[in-house]
Amino acid sequence: MLINALNGLVYGSLLFVLSAGLVLVYGLRRVVNFAHGALYMLGAYIGWSVATLYGFAAGVVAAGVALAAVGVVLDLVLFRRLAGRQPLITVIVTFGVLLILEDVVRSVWGTGNRALDPPAALDGVVEIFGAPFPVYRLFIVAASAAMAGGLAAWLRWGRTGLFVRAASHDASVAAMCGVRTAAIGPMVVGLGAAFAGLSGIVAAPFLSIHPSMGSEILVLSFVVSVIGGLGSFAGAFVAAMLLGQVQSFGTVLLPELAALLPFLLMAGVLIFRPQGIAGTKG
Amino acid sequence: MKLTTSALLGLAVGLMAPAVASAEPEALRIGVPTTRSGPYTLLGDQAVRAVEFAVGEANAAGGVDGRKVEFKVVDDEASPDAGRRAGEKLASEGYRILTATVSSSVGLAMSTQLNRWDAMYVSTINKSPKITGDSCHPRMFRTNHSDDMDIAIVGPWLKDQPQKTWGIIAADYLWGRGSGAAFKATAQSLGRKVETEVFPPVGTTDYAPYITQLRDGGVEGLWVALAGADAINFIKQAKQFGLTDKMLIFGHNVVSPSTAKAVAKEMVGIWGNMGYAAAIDTPANKAFVAAWKAKYGAEPTDYEGETYAGMQVIFAAVKTAKSVAPADVSKAMEGLSATTPFGQVTMRAADHQLEEPNYLGRVVEKDGAHVIVVERTFDAKTATPGPNPACKL
Repeated sequence: MLINALNGLVYGSLLFVLSAGLVLVYGLRRVVNFAHGALYMLGAYIGWSVATLYGFAAGVVAAGVALAAVGVVLDLVLFRRLAGRQPLITVIVTFGVLLILEDVVRSVWGTGNRALDPPAALDGVVEIFGAPFPVYRLFIVAASAAMAGGLAAWLRWGRTGLFVRAASHDASVAAMCGVRTAAIGPMVVGLGAAFAGLSGIVAAPFLSIHPSMGSEILVLSFVVSVIGGLGSFAGAFVAAMLLGQVQSFGTVLLPELAALLPFLLMAGVLIFRPQGIAGTKG
Repeated sequence: MKLTTSALLGLAVGLMAPAVASAEPEALRIGVPTTRSGPYTLLGDQAVRAVEFAVGEANAAGGVDGRKVEFKVVDDEASPDAGRRAGEKLASEGYRILTATVSSSVGLAMSTQLNRWDAMYVSTINKSPKITGDSCHPRMFRTNHSDDMDIAIVGPWLKDQPQKTWGIIAADYLWGRGSGAAFKATAQSLGRKVETEVFPPVGTTDYAPYITQLRDGGVEGLWVALAGADAINFIKQAKQFGLTDKMLIFGHNVVSPSTAKAVAKEMVGIWGNMGYAAAIDTPANKAFVAAWKAKYGAEPTDYEGETYAGMQVIFAAVKTAKSVAPADVSKAMEGLSATTPFGQVTMRAADHQLEEPNYLGRVVEKDGAHVIVVERTFDAKTATPGPNPACKL
């Protein structure tokens, strides 16, 4: 049973890093970013290209930096204009971005599956509960915890973090108090995209890299942010951990329903607590 | 006067033209309704490359039955509707011998229109048993192995394996469930026990819960029926968890160049059926692989080898029929014997399935590189189960 909890923790960690970017962007821009899955996929591809040449660490850095740049461009060109529009419009536009990015990746990297090895230092197994467990999976937990901790500390105690929270709460009042909200937007969307790119490259060593990998995981990261409460960072954390455990134990205990459980959970939350675990009403 | 001369000249040319045309027989036109967009594009690319190569080779050797060979490709979008339109377009333009379609559902959709188009269809990739089963058609043929044929060689292999307890991991949809059920029946008939069965949904990213369950189940062997990216995700993660080294694994349609390209290292030791392998030991295949390598700098993949083999069967039928009319070629196909990379093979008249050998192989490490090798070859008799009684031609 403990091994299942550990499996759930690993998957939950990955989902959290992915959803964190989604939550950040929604919190500030109120844009439901369907392109987030494509950013994750793009991160995996860019990271893969760099990692195969210069090593895994370089791949991680490249994925983060490149995707941050993509995020800044996305914000300046699209999200800034979309903020305040009808949700349906933002959904359609960002979905269009997803399709475009998938085709760009197809024409640059081709349609075949690719794979990346974990770095040598993380490629072994450790004995946990009497059975081998891949070290890399523990690294995923540690990396997610570091990213989550860093982000939380920055938002809570950093001066810029304070500005981000202020702008997310009420952009006009924040601007009146002297916060440069125009600069906050690209920074937050860039950071959100960087999180997507990082989760892509971090996931790459245990997944197949292919153009539709983003749309496959996108649905689950939406489930995470809906359960957590759109825009809530702490809520997303709880929801991702919960979903990881639901997936892991559901597969073992209720195999016939396992694929359905995350959605049942989401439906339950939408009916009984529509604002999500940590969201506020209104 | 000048006018009269040119008019006469024109008349003369006009009179000569039919004579020239009859001296050169009607070209053999191959229609290729295959996938040029969407997730199956990579497979369609391979099918088209094989047709192009086979046509080029035939024309360089003076054509087929003295006829020039031409082909035309139209996108079937891997959907039955678009596939039907692609087939109709090709047939209406005179490309009435259709082949190299990727998806079984497109092949089956076209088969209902073959009489109306006065066309024929030769499957080189479609594995659905329906093609030569209850949906068989007088104008439809299959030169590749069906799912039933791939399962048929598992029994003779399993018989020789000492593992008594087996697990199954199969994708939760028609093909995966069918594959799992077929393996279970085969295993039980040989006195093996199937103790753990798990069915992850298509598109599963994390297989850890399934892997730990299979490991804790304590089975000695594992049947894997996952496709595409799912298979790659599973193979990677199973290796990382040490599952691959702990039990004997057989992957249904897993040992292929496209999978090996991504996870060759992690696949070492995993058995699998192979529709075609560059390592097949026949004179025709050796010649084919050498010529292919000279042109493309790589070994042919499974789809390429299978489609090239299918083209050889079509060419042999045209030579026998001495005609390119689909009715005549279809007739010549029945009972036809042809030389292909699979060796000398026969097109069974009863259900239009090519009787051919089938192969099991593994990825092995050789001189620092990972290559796919043929470990077991089953002759056509063992590999081709009898015709499905549901097929009435």
